[in-house]
Amino acid sequence: MKHNKHLLGLLLIVLIGLAACSQAPINKKKLQKPLTLNISAEPSVLNPILSTDSASSKVIDLVFSGLLRVSTNLELIPDLAQSYTINSEGTIYTFNLHKNAYWHDGKPVTAEDVKFTFERILDPKTNTVRRSNYIINGKEVQFKVINSHCIQAILPQPFAPFLTHMTMGILPKHLLSNQDINTALFNRNPIGSGPFVFQEWHSAQFIRLKRNENYYGKRPKLGSLLLKIIPDQNTALISLEKAEIDQSGISGKDYARYKDHPEFSIHRYEDLVYTYMGFNLKHQFFKDSQIRKAIAMAINKDAIVNGVLKGFGTTAHLPASPVSWAFPETLKKNPYPYNPEKSRQLLKAAGFRKNKQGILQKNGQPFEFTLITNKGNKDREKVAQLIQQFLKSVDIKVEIRLMEWSSFIKIVNAAKDPKDFDAVILGWSLGLDPDGHSLWHSSQYPKGFNFVAYNNAKVDKALQKGRLTMNTQHRKTIYKQVYHEIAKDLPYIFLYYPESLTGIQDRVKGLSPAGPAGLMNPIENVYLQP
Amino acid sequence: MKIFILKRILAAIPLLIGITALSFVIMKLAPGDPTLIYTDPSVSLEDLKQVQQNLGLDKPVLHQYMYWLKNMFQGNLGYSYLSHKPVIVAMTERLPATLLLATVSLVVILALTLPLGLISGQKKDTLFDHSVTFFTFLGMSMPTFWLGLMLILALSLYWPLFPSSGFIDLSLSQAPWPQKIASILWHMALPLVTMVLGGLAALTRYHRFGIIGTLKQDYITAGRGRGLSEKRLLYKHAFKNASLPLVTILGLELPGLISGSFVIEYIFAWPGLGQLGVQAVFARDYPILMGTILFSSILMVIGNLIADIAYAWVDPRVTLK
Repeated sequence: MKHNKHLLGLLLIVLIGLAACSQAPINKKKLQKPLTLNISAEPSVLNPILSTDSASSKVIDLVFSGLLRVSTNLELIPDLAQSYTINSEGTIYTFNLHKNAYWHDGKPVTAEDVKFTFERILDPKTNTVRRSNYIINGKEVQFKVINSHCIQAILPQPFAPFLTHMTMGILPKHLLSNQDINTALFNRNPIGSGPFVFQEWHSAQFIRLKRNENYYGKRPKLGSLLLKIIPDQNTALISLEKAEIDQSGISGKDYARYKDHPEFSIHRYEDLVYTYMGFNLKHQFFKDSQIRKAIAMAINKDAIVNGVLKGFGTTAHLPASPVSWAFPETLKKNPYPYNPEKSRQLLKAAGFRKNKQGILQKNGQPFEFTLITNKGNKDREKVAQLIQQFLKSVDIKVEIRLMEWSSFIKIVNAAKDPKDFDAVILGWSLGLDPDGHSLWHSSQYPKGFNFVAYNNAKVDKALQKGRLTMNTQHRKTIYKQVYHEIAKDLPYIFLYYPESLTGIQDRVKGLSPAGPAGLMNPIENVYLQP
Repeated sequence: MKIFILKRILAAIPLLIGITALSFVIMKLAPGDPTLIYTDPSVSLEDLKQVQQNLGLDKPVLHQYMYWLKNMFQGNLGYSYLSHKPVIVAMTERLPATLLLATVSLVVILALTLPLGLISGQKKDTLFDHSVTFFTFLGMSMPTFWLGLMLILALSLYWPLFPSSGFIDLSLSQAPWPQKIASILWHMALPLVTMVLGGLAALTRYHRFGIIGTLKQDYITAGRGRGLSEKRLLYKHAFKNASLPLVTILGLELPGLISGSFVIEYIFAWPGLGQLGVQAVFARDYPILMGTILFSSILMVIGNLIADIAYAWVDPRVTLK
């Protein structure tokens, strides 16, 4: 017992002592802390052709470079490829590589590396989900080395979205050619040709990078970079407040608390994403477009944006993000504005009458359906509840079911017809290219992401044409038609484009305007105020 | 003694095989598979199918299990689907953080539980007893994530004594060992307090009941009759016997402590096994899951074994056969 008392006392002393002496040496050092970013999650694998998670790509974007990269204006600009040409048919892409591009180990980057990278992606033994990007109409894209710094991609037929896939990070052949790419140690100690060199990775703690002194592009102003892994959003915010990290995402509800913070500023931008409610178009009621229209008119999207996003977002009416070049300004208006009275009339016209329980009914079938979404996504859960309320006011009964992600996707992705759901709430993040083939083409049902079973011959045709047309202006017209049809047909009720909020310490300078391409893009311009 | 341990270890092998087989089947019964985390309109289903095939996920469950078992006996637990790391590497790099937090918190919990339980038991129904009950239960009933965040708010943000999260000060990678250890312990303070406050109640209660029960025994009354001091009765005679149930409970708690506390690790960005395991569940990272299950089953067996040995050691009536 006495021992215990001593022990306790000792422990307290040790703890307090630690708090005191650990702080002391840090205060003494006046060294400037490197730029410290939070990547929120442990990256899975630092190999551009294998990774799919955002934490990994944040690191990969700094360490590797692709033939092209994405500019602040969301345009594709030359990176490892100093220049490129496309033949008039749009089938041969010729890339001229930077002559002074070197791997972080000092070896030159050559056309052989490029060929190697894409061949590894195309190799079925590689556990990558990017293979289809380089297979067009069942035929693989051929990569042909012209000379050590010139490579051609030969497409079996024109394919407009192809160029967006040329941002893929290039791998060093000399380090990987005799390795199993799926399990190579390289994936944890990557060597790229990007602006920063990988230094160390402490699992679930941090990744440290340092400047690539031999970078072929503009020399980065930052000497080093620290990427911390702080999974909890609340903890990350406190770390931002304490200036332990330089940047953190901020949710709409915390905006008011931080907007006037003296040491960091909040940047807002619209991302390439939208949230929607998707109908199963094989459902007995939802197959009728008048009923979908009635539901659309019963839902107040502005209330959803204000209620769920605290106003940090805009209502959506079509499947393209306003930041995309293909976004048609002329279709901005909601074709089916909120009007519960009109909604009731439409439902009445469709033959629905209230039953004893006060629910609409047609041919003895009450209008009840289950709305599913993934558990854990608070925004979507709230959207579901609001939609439930809106539809209750027009006497439609909605049951909400929250499902764990894998189980949810299993239902939506099941290759069967019809599928086992009535309606879902989901969001899509869009690529740079407006090609919506995987979501809207009728061939993508029941196998594919057109799980709502949308089928519109006009859209099918336009989507095909959009892939074959190289001229951006022409493509813009084509996609305008696609969006017009989809907005009219309502296979989804498009709900909103959420705004992203990110807090960045004021000591970080050289930022680009806020946008989906990132404020710290290009990273070379970013520096710290001394 | 040696024969006893050997017997127990041999008996544990079929048990472990049973546990892993059952877990494997249950895991496979859960909907979804590891390729579902890639779901995104830019990924084609053919690619997912190819990856499934490469990982052998299209084979029958029994076949997959036998393959896993065969490799396991050769010391190969496979590669994580998510990080492509060998399972052994993925687990061992997370082990130190978990082990450290677990052992220190266990020691602290014991150091607090033993005196608290003892005094509460002896001074049953006094103000002290009631306040111990009240505060330990308060600690237990506060949700861990809330308690953790409140501690961060109070002791890191408003009164900046401790760092908000992490394992070590990242500027210390070249520093000498003592400084590194100090930094780690400093970072550990808040997760430790969260863990201790949450874990105090159960053991204190057990110990309190143990003391109360022991103090009612005839030999204590007899001792009192012989004129032994209350102090001597309590510390020398009651304490040891009352600690017996704790030994068993500690043996059972061992695997739980090691598997790590996901919530605490998540909030404090503590690089332990708990985060790894939970991430593996959601991503259906079967090799990591099987590794974690195997590891905690082994610990369960070891924990039980240690408990039995310790029991025999503290209680001479028990002999190991």
